[in-house]
Amino acid sequence: MTFGAPAALWALAAVPVLIVLYLLRVRRREHVVSSVLLWVKSQPSWAAFRPSRRVERSLLLLLQIVAAAALAAALAQPALLGWTAGSGDVVLVLDGSMSMRARDVAPTRFDRARAEARDVLAHLGPDRRAALVLAAAHPLVLVPPTADRGRLAAALAHAQPWDVAGDVRGAIDLAAQLVPGPHGRIFVWTDAARSPVPALPNVTARILGTADENTGVVALRVLPDADTARVLVRVTNFGHAAVRAPLRVTRDGSAAYGATLALAAGETRTVVFPVSSPRGKADAGVLRAQLDVRDALPDDKTAEALLAPAPLPSVLLVGPDDPPLERLLRVAPVSRAAVTRETDPAAWRGYDVVILDRVTTGAVPPGRYLAIGTVPPNLPANPSGVVDAPDIATWDRRDPVLRFVDFGDVHVRQALRLAPDSGRVLAAGPSPLLWAYESRGMRAIVLAFGLGDSDLPQHVAFPVLVVNSLAWLGGDTGGLQAGQTLEVPAAGGDRAMVVRPDGTRIDVPARDGAFAFALPRAGVYRLTTPAGERAVSVSVGSETAGLIAPGPAAAAASQPPVQRVLARLALWPWLVLGAAAVALGEWALATRRRGGDA
Amino acid sequence: MFSDPPQPASPSAGRPAAGNDEIKAGRSSVRSATGHHDIKAAGAQVIEGADALAPAAPRDQAGLLDPAFLQRLEALSLVSRRRVRGRQHGERRSLVRGRGIEFDDYRAYEPGDDYRYIDWNIASRLDRLFVKLFSEEEDLDVRLLIDTSRSMAAGAPSKLLLAKQLAAAIGYIGLVNLDRVEVGVFSSGPGPRLRRLRGRSRAFDLLRFLEGIVPEGTTDLSLALRRTLDESSRRGLLVVISDLLDPHGYEDGLLRTRHHGMQTFVIHVLAEDELAPRLSGELRLIDAETGRAVEVTIDADALRAYAEARDAYLEGIQQFCFRHSIDYLRTTSGVPADSLVLRYLRQGGLVR
Repeated sequence: MTFGAPAALWALAAVPVLIVLYLLRVRRREHVVSSVLLWVKSQPSWAAFRPSRRVERSLLLLLQIVAAAALAAALAQPALLGWTAGSGDVVLVLDGSMSMRARDVAPTRFDRARAEARDVLAHLGPDRRAALVLAAAHPLVLVPPTADRGRLAAALAHAQPWDVAGDVRGAIDLAAQLVPGPHGRIFVWTDAARSPVPALPNVTARILGTADENTGVVALRVLPDADTARVLVRVTNFGHAAVRAPLRVTRDGSAAYGATLALAAGETRTVVFPVSSPRGKADAGVLRAQLDVRDALPDDKTAEALLAPAPLPSVLLVGPDDPPLERLLRVAPVSRAAVTRETDPAAWRGYDVVILDRVTTGAVPPGRYLAIGTVPPNLPANPSGVVDAPDIATWDRRDPVLRFVDFGDVHVRQALRLAPDSGRVLAAGPSPLLWAYESRGMRAIVLAFGLGDSDLPQHVAFPVLVVNSLAWLGGDTGGLQAGQTLEVPAAGGDRAMVVRPDGTRIDVPARDGAFAFALPRAGVYRLTTPAGERAVSVSVGSETAGLIAPGPAAAAASQPPVQRVLARLALWPWLVLGAAAVALGEWALATRRRGGDA
Repeated sequence: MFSDPPQPASPSAGRPAAGNDEIKAGRSSVRSATGHHDIKAAGAQVIEGADALAPAAPRDQAGLLDPAFLQRLEALSLVSRRRVRGRQHGERRSLVRGRGIEFDDYRAYEPGDDYRYIDWNIASRLDRLFVKLFSEEEDLDVRLLIDTSRSMAAGAPSKLLLAKQLAAAIGYIGLVNLDRVEVGVFSSGPGPRLRRLRGRSRAFDLLRFLEGIVPEGTTDLSLALRRTLDESSRRGLLVVISDLLDPHGYEDGLLRTRHHGMQTFVIHVLAEDELAPRLSGELRLIDAETGRAVEVTIDADALRAYAEARDAYLEGIQQFCFRHSIDYLRTTSGVPADSLVLRYLRQGGLVR
């Protein structure tokens, strides 16, 4: 049993009002008697006027209460999600947004969705297949279509919302691919807090949630400086009423900042304050921001971030002498740098990033590579000749690799004609000139020309480009957000241990030369590899993840296709019919019995 | 209890009472009448006259009394348990001893006594003069007082119809016995009155008067009796026919009749619905007389409470009449008048 508009259950308050009105109203049938003398003398009969007595004796009132309750329940749009007809597969889509952790629906919206999904599974025939999709930052197929109820139940039990704004629309699209055809059914449990449920003929949406007031920490970042660091805390009031939010920031338990923020409805306030952060210190502590506000979503009241900067990568330069690059590596933010001419990948172990400078190699193992003037054969960007004097016409300034990079005055004499099949082109002229590729265990940047074939080393763009590239390749985790997958070079290791912010531990095997694991929650993750231990801080996946106001159920229901699906399962017509029948019976009874009142 | 009505003492004496008919006759103050009168057979004239006055028609609409019933009434007479003093020669022994024909006593002769009443036989034996005393036969003052308040319209047939039938029957008995009959109605006060009826020939006036009575006004028995008794100091038989549903109470009025030395006979007429209301649900009861409204929720408990109040009220009336030597007869409007007169009023000592 579900309710499309649970707020309408407040209409049940009409029942006590009905009782009060019943007690107050005077609708007695007049009857002339020869004398009321004896009625007045029959004092005990006055006890019959007690309201409680009237209530307990009135069948008519009982019928009226039943009719009113049925109507109120009908307004709440109750529906049964289980069905017995049909033969198609079923996909259960659970919104994995952070807002599904809201506790306005006991115990939480997600738990309610989980329970109702179990109910749907329980009503499925044994031969019906079902799939489970979690609408996290990206749609995740937790269980492909299967008739294995045990597997589905286990997946349901382990499913948890992420600290992200779930991609419900993408999840429904994915679900539609899982159950093609007119008989497939998609059941979606969401709060539709950020976008309405798309109207599809075979989609039945269940909108969860009643509360809309929430204030949370949407960002906690540490901006390292020379000897200090600046801490940025961003707080947003997602509700419709102004709030006063006491904010307290601690550093390893000691108070670092405190203030009370007055936030108007929908206002976002950013607080920046300095803390000491000695450079090079491996463990400078954990910052914890906490809001003392009580609302339906307690999960976004705290945020954690590492005060220490991310560890610097170690770099191996493979290739002939390249003085500009070697000079740059001496001053670049790397933990260590080395030069070799050995092209055997076995000799490259122990380095986080390998720079292939104009060397021809075979297929390279998974790892982090900056290829300059060469392309390893196992990268999907095989060069097809060269391009003379290509002009760097466009480049993506928003990409972290090209941040603060200006190719405007850079001239190139000759470059490889790259023909990438995937990845992303960061800068291009007649052909791609800077190309980035990321796949399982492999992260690479290919610069299509050698430094000697251009005047790039003479421009400011050169060191900035190299440093940005090394930071991206080295796994700079400064901007990690929940919902992303963190890949850390295995550096020869085969297993790693990850401790999530909630304390759970997961064992991560090395695949394709890297440890890759998802980041479902915001907070501090601690990763232990054979190379050592490191911690990364992860922020909330989206600054709108704290929106908890459920989408209007009426809007979803007003879309004809969804409405048609809901109508087949809705109980409210039967409740309305029942209420009408009871009201009719009450009327007939009231008009038939002597002394009765309608 | 009221719900267990006493059965008639002699079921064969008259028409059996209906199952639900309520009859109670109070004999608390009955005293044996010392006078005796022969009951004369009704003449053909009376029957004809009575037949003309009471045409055969439904009881509620046409003549008050059936001719055959009238004929049977002529064999009855009203019982006065006291010697009363009438104004005219009648068929009832008077308090005044004098020239009547019925020997009563002797006393010593005194100068001035009529020689004709000296008993010479005794004088010859005793050598003393005694005069014979005769009871002077005088008429009886019979006052019929009928409650015509609006509450008397209740019942099927109505209480007022039974009251009129009873008054007609009692009055007719008085007329044929040369009693002086006075009929009056009352509600909140004395109403129209028919005075000084005497003789069979006035039966037409009596019946016509009674047929013209309609229910109106409210009940004030005390006021009505006070004014009635203040108009005449003569004693006699007072028959009050009422439902006694008087919010002012019945006690003062009835006590006043005792203080005036009246022989009072109360015929308490009630409707079936007043004894056992067939009501239920949420009602607003409106008093037919006063217009007073009472809101009640009638269910089994309320009806039980009503029955208790009813029994207490009726028991109170009965005890009151017993204490003050007032004859009391309670009936419902459904009991036929002939049965009441020929059977229960006989048992109650009003007629014989």
